[in-house]
Amino acid sequence: MSSTVHSKRLSLSEWFKTITFYEILVGMKATLSHLLNYRPITLQYPHEKRTLPDNYRGMLALLRYDDGTEKCVGCDLCEAACPSRVIRVVSAEVPGEPTKRYSKEYYMDMTRCLFCGMCVDACPVDALGMTREFEWAVFDKRQLHLNKQQLLAIGDRSFPIREKRLELQHPNVAFFNVPFKHVPPKPN
Amino acid sequence: MSELGLRLAISLTQIGAIMGIVIVTVLLLTLAERKVLGWMQDRMGPMEVGPYGILQPFADAIKLFFKEDIIPAGANKLLFTMAPIICLIPAFIGFAVIPWGPNWTFEIGGITVKPFVISDINIGILYILAFASLGAYGIIIGGWASNSKYSLLGGLRSAAQIISYELNVGLSIIGVIILAGSLSLVTITDAQQGWFWHWYLFALPAPQIFAFGVYVISAVAETNRVPFDLPEAESELVAGFFTEYSGLRFAFFFLAEYANMVLVSCVAAALFLGGWNAPYPGTILELVGLPSLAWIENTMWFAVKTYSFLFLFFWLRATLPRLRYDQLMKFGWKVLLPIALANIVVTSIAVFVTQ
Repeated sequence: MSSTVHSKRLSLSEWFKTITFYEILVGMKATLSHLLNYRPITLQYPHEKRTLPDNYRGMLALLRYDDGTEKCVGCDLCEAACPSRVIRVVSAEVPGEPTKRYSKEYYMDMTRCLFCGMCVDACPVDALGMTREFEWAVFDKRQLHLNKQQLLAIGDRSFPIREKRLELQHPNVAFFNVPFKHVPPKPN
Repeated sequence: MSELGLRLAISLTQIGAIMGIVIVTVLLLTLAERKVLGWMQDRMGPMEVGPYGILQPFADAIKLFFKEDIIPAGANKLLFTMAPIICLIPAFIGFAVIPWGPNWTFEIGGITVKPFVISDINIGILYILAFASLGAYGIIIGGWASNSKYSLLGGLRSAAQIISYELNVGLSIIGVIILAGSLSLVTITDAQQGWFWHWYLFALPAPQIFAFGVYVISAVAETNRVPFDLPEAESELVAGFFTEYSGLRFAFFFLAEYANMVLVSCVAAALFLGGWNAPYPGTILELVGLPSLAWIENTMWFAVKTYSFLFLFFWLRATLPRLRYDQLMKFGWKVLLPIALANIVVTSIAVFVTQ
């Protein structure tokens, strides 16, 4: 229809196609061929699930070292990085160790999270991780307001293999175990 | 039992049987439509209720029966309540004159009974056309009484559409009526016995192929199906004339639409495709020595023709987008109407010359 301007005279073949419903017949042949070569592309979701890609960004979680201590040092960088203000960190000194800090409270309002992964990138100690969980539909929205214990529990069940605490790290120092390889060396 | 009582009992039995068959067919159609549409669009259709979703119609029916029945605050309560019934009754009443098996008669207690047609009245097809037009009242009244702009628009569209295409249905049928010389569907079907080239679609003095085309298109338009589903255009009018309906009343409209589809398919099978006649003379069961069971074969042929017509409805729905309103009107009045009129002229001349 779009190929022919209405005022233009139809050629004989176009006119013949019009009166025999040629285009409609072509379309009906297409649908019939799909019916005969029935190969559904949908999955019956709760019964069968897609394989997720390797870099899938799902539910956020807090991680621990292999000795069970929390990785988080309460630096607030995730809170600063978050574009939708999901994260709220209340940082505090570790009692008796004035050089070391930890997150006393850690809240994530997952109703707002857009799973961009910027908090994970921002974390200097790799304390945040993105799991492959995505089935988080709940009846009460307040259940998506997660606290530190819940986030640690998600991390425990999603990342059973934990990172070792670095041997060089003094237990009293908040050690930033990021390899600074990506930073270009100073020109001499 | 008096003769009247006996006749009443037999008629009620027949009516019950036909109603049962039609309602079962409608249940089947709701599932078949979703399945066929799904398969044509590389989906699976309903899969959850029962194995491969075959119990879905029952789940739908239970849901519709138990849903809350809402009447909008500004609605005209009487008309709002009546509209689904006005829509439903004409859809079912047409089945009274459809012959779905051979034209047999037998005697019980002094009265003759035709087991395969409820009532063989001599104005059969006229009766169906008359009642099919009454169904439009249900839609218009339902649209108006809902006190909603979408419903009203849907109802008005439906009024214009059904009036336009009703005319084409009537005119396309006239060729068949001229050939058969009768309005009774039983007589028309009987006249198409023998090989399949005796069907009025191919019958010799004047093959009704163009009339059949006009009938098919107009029938799709008359039952408000895609691509002529302007009265209930989802993308523009929410749901058209039954936007405000819910629960059982909505189920009535739904049932009426599908019953109309079945009725239109039955009429097409009876008028153009030889009705219950097999595409070969007689029946196979008669040849192998079971003449008392020949009706099964005939009924099956009727079912096959009706269901293939119904499949065409689904097929069109899976393929075509909706027409614009002016395209619909232009197509009805400027294309289909002249074809139907020309068909009448050609058929009349052919019949006059050959007789």
